[in-house]
Amino acid sequence: MKVRAVEIGAGLVLLVLLLFWFGRAYGLAQLNLLFTYALAGLGVVIILGHAGQTVLGQGAFVALGAYAQALLVATGLTPLLALPLAAGAGALGGVLASLPAARLGGLYFGMSTFAFALLVEELLRRWESLTGGAAGLMVKGFSIAGWRLEQAGEQAAFSLLLLLGAIALCRRMLASALGRSWQAVREDEAAAAACGVDAVRAKIGAFALGGGVSGLAGGLYAHWIAYLSPEQFGLRLSFELLILAFLGGVRRLGGVLWGAALVVALPQAIALLRDQLPGEWTRAAGFELFVFGAAVVAVVLLRRPPA
Amino acid sequence: MSSLLQVLLSGAATGCVYGLVALSFVLIFKATSVLSFMQGELLMAGAFAALAAHQGLGLPLLPAVLLAVLAMAGFAMLGERLFLRRLVAQPALLAVLLTFGLGMMLRGLVASWPGAAQQVYRLPFGGEQLRIGEVLLPTAQLWVIAAALLLALLLAAFFRYTRLGLALRACAENPELATLMGVRVSTMQALAWGLGGGLAALAGVLLAPLSFVHLNMGDIAFKAFPAAVLGGMSSLGGALLGGLALGLIEALAGLWLPEGFKDALPYLLLLFALLLFPRGLGQWRLAGAGPSRGGQ
Repeated sequence: MKVRAVEIGAGLVLLVLLLFWFGRAYGLAQLNLLFTYALAGLGVVIILGHAGQTVLGQGAFVALGAYAQALLVATGLTPLLALPLAAGAGALGGVLASLPAARLGGLYFGMSTFAFALLVEELLRRWESLTGGAAGLMVKGFSIAGWRLEQAGEQAAFSLLLLLGAIALCRRMLASALGRSWQAVREDEAAAAACGVDAVRAKIGAFALGGGVSGLAGGLYAHWIAYLSPEQFGLRLSFELLILAFLGGVRRLGGVLWGAALVVALPQAIALLRDQLPGEWTRAAGFELFVFGAAVVAVVLLRRPPA
Repeated sequence: MSSLLQVLLSGAATGCVYGLVALSFVLIFKATSVLSFMQGELLMAGAFAALAAHQGLGLPLLPAVLLAVLAMAGFAMLGERLFLRRLVAQPALLAVLLTFGLGMMLRGLVASWPGAAQQVYRLPFGGEQLRIGEVLLPTAQLWVIAAALLLALLLAAFFRYTRLGLALRACAENPELATLMGVRVSTMQALAWGLGGGLAALAGVLLAPLSFVHLNMGDIAFKAFPAAVLGGMSSLGGALLGGLALGLIEALAGLWLPEGFKDALPYLLLLFALLLFPRGLGQWRLAGAGPSRGGQ
C-alpha cells in the first residue's frame, strides 16, 4: 500500500510537470498517446505476465485492430460501434496466433507468434486493394454522434476511460475460473493438466483477451495518428510492448502506465538530449535507435527477476 | 531451361546465405540456449564494416573482410561478457529482448554514419558474368556458393578435429559434464558468440553482391529462422541444408506462384516447420513429443 501511494504521488508530480512544462495541448496529446500505449501493453501483461506465454508478435494484434477500425469507419460505420469490432479483430488474431500452443511451448511457441506477426505485416503490405499497401491508409477523426473529439484533452479522457474499463475487465477475468487457470498453467502446465485444467483452452482464452485489448488500442491509435502503414506495427512495436510490460512489472495491470510513460517519453527525452549534447553525432538518425536499444538493455538488466 | 537454371542458381546462392545465418543462430542457441535477435544487425554491420575498411581505410578486400568479421565477433563477445552473462538461469525471453536491444544499438551506430541510411553500396567482387554455352551465370552467385561450402567444411573440421571445437560441442551437449572434464564453460560460451557474430558478418559480406549493402539487409535473418528450425535448432549441417532448401523453394515460388507469395513463404514455412517438425526434419518421428527447451 505504501508503494502504491508513492507511485501515485510520483505520477501526479510528473503529470503536473508534463502539463506545465510542455504546454497543456502538447502535454495532453502525449498523455493520450500514453494511455493508448498502456492499453496495448495490457494485452502483453495478460498473455505473458498472467498466462506465462511467450509472445513476440503482440504488434500484430494492434495492427489488426487498427486496420479493422480504419476500414470499418471508411465504410461509414460510426467509430464508436467500430471499436468493439476492432477489439474483435485483435481477439481473433490472438486466437489464431495461440493455436500452435497446443503443440509448442516456451521459446518455440514465441517463435510461432513471431511468424504470425511477420505474416500479418506481409499481408498488410501485399493486400493493396484493401489496406493501401506500403502507401498506407488515412483515417478520419473520432466522433460520437456528431460530437468530434478534436481537443487533445477530450481524446485523452476517452482513452483513459477505455483503459480503466479494460483494466476493470481484466481484473474481473483474472478472478474468474479462466483467469485462475492462467495462473495454474503459468506455474506448472503439467500439474495444471493433472488437476483437470484445460491448458489449451486457458491459453486460447488469454490470447483472446490479450489480443482483444491490444486490438482496441489499435482502433484508438488509428484515429489519433490518422494514418496507418504496415511498418508502424513491425517487430519494434512488439518489442516496445514487451519492454513496456516488463518495466511496470509484468503481472501488474496498473504497471502498464509506467511502461507506457517510458515508451512515450523516450523519443521526447532523446529530442531534448540532442539539444544539450555537443557534437554532430546526436543529430544523426542513428542516435535515436542507439538510445532506444540502450534503454531496452537497461530495462532488461534492471527489471530482471532476482536469480 | 536456361532461365530455370539461372533461377535455381540464384536461389541456391541466397539459400547459402540463409544457411550461414541459420548456422550462426544454431551455434549460439546450442552453446548458450539464447535465441539471438541481433544476427540480422550483425550481418548488416559486418557488411558495412567491410565496406568502411575497404573504401575508407583503403585496405585490400580480404583483410577488410577479415577486420569486419573480427569486429562483429568482438561485438558479440563483448555483449555476452557485459550483459548476456547476467541473465543465466533467467527466463529465455529476457535474453531475446536483450539481444534485440543490443542489435538496435548496433544498428544505431551504423545509421549515425552519414550516408548509411540513404544509400545502397556494393562491395567490389562478383560483378562479372560467366558464359557456359548459352547460359549466362553471374559469378557472384558461384562465389557465394563456393564460399559457403568452404566455410561449412572448415567449421565441420573445426568441430571434429580440433580440441577447441570438441570442447565447444561438449559444452553444448552437457555443460555440467563438460565442466567435470575440465572445459571452461564460460569461455566456450564466449567463443560461441564470437563464432556466431563472425559468421553473421561473413554472411553479410557474401550477401553484398546479391542484394547490395544497405541498412535493412539484416531483415534476411528472419528468413533464416525457418532454416534453423527445419534443422531442429540443433544440427549445424541441418541449418545449412535448411537454408539451401529454403532458398531454392523461394526461388521456384517466385517463378511459379503469383507475385507476393515469395515473401510470405518463409514465414508460412516457419509456422509449418514449428508445428510439424518442432525437432527438425531429421527427427520427424519425435515431432509429437514436442520440445521442452527454453520456456518462460
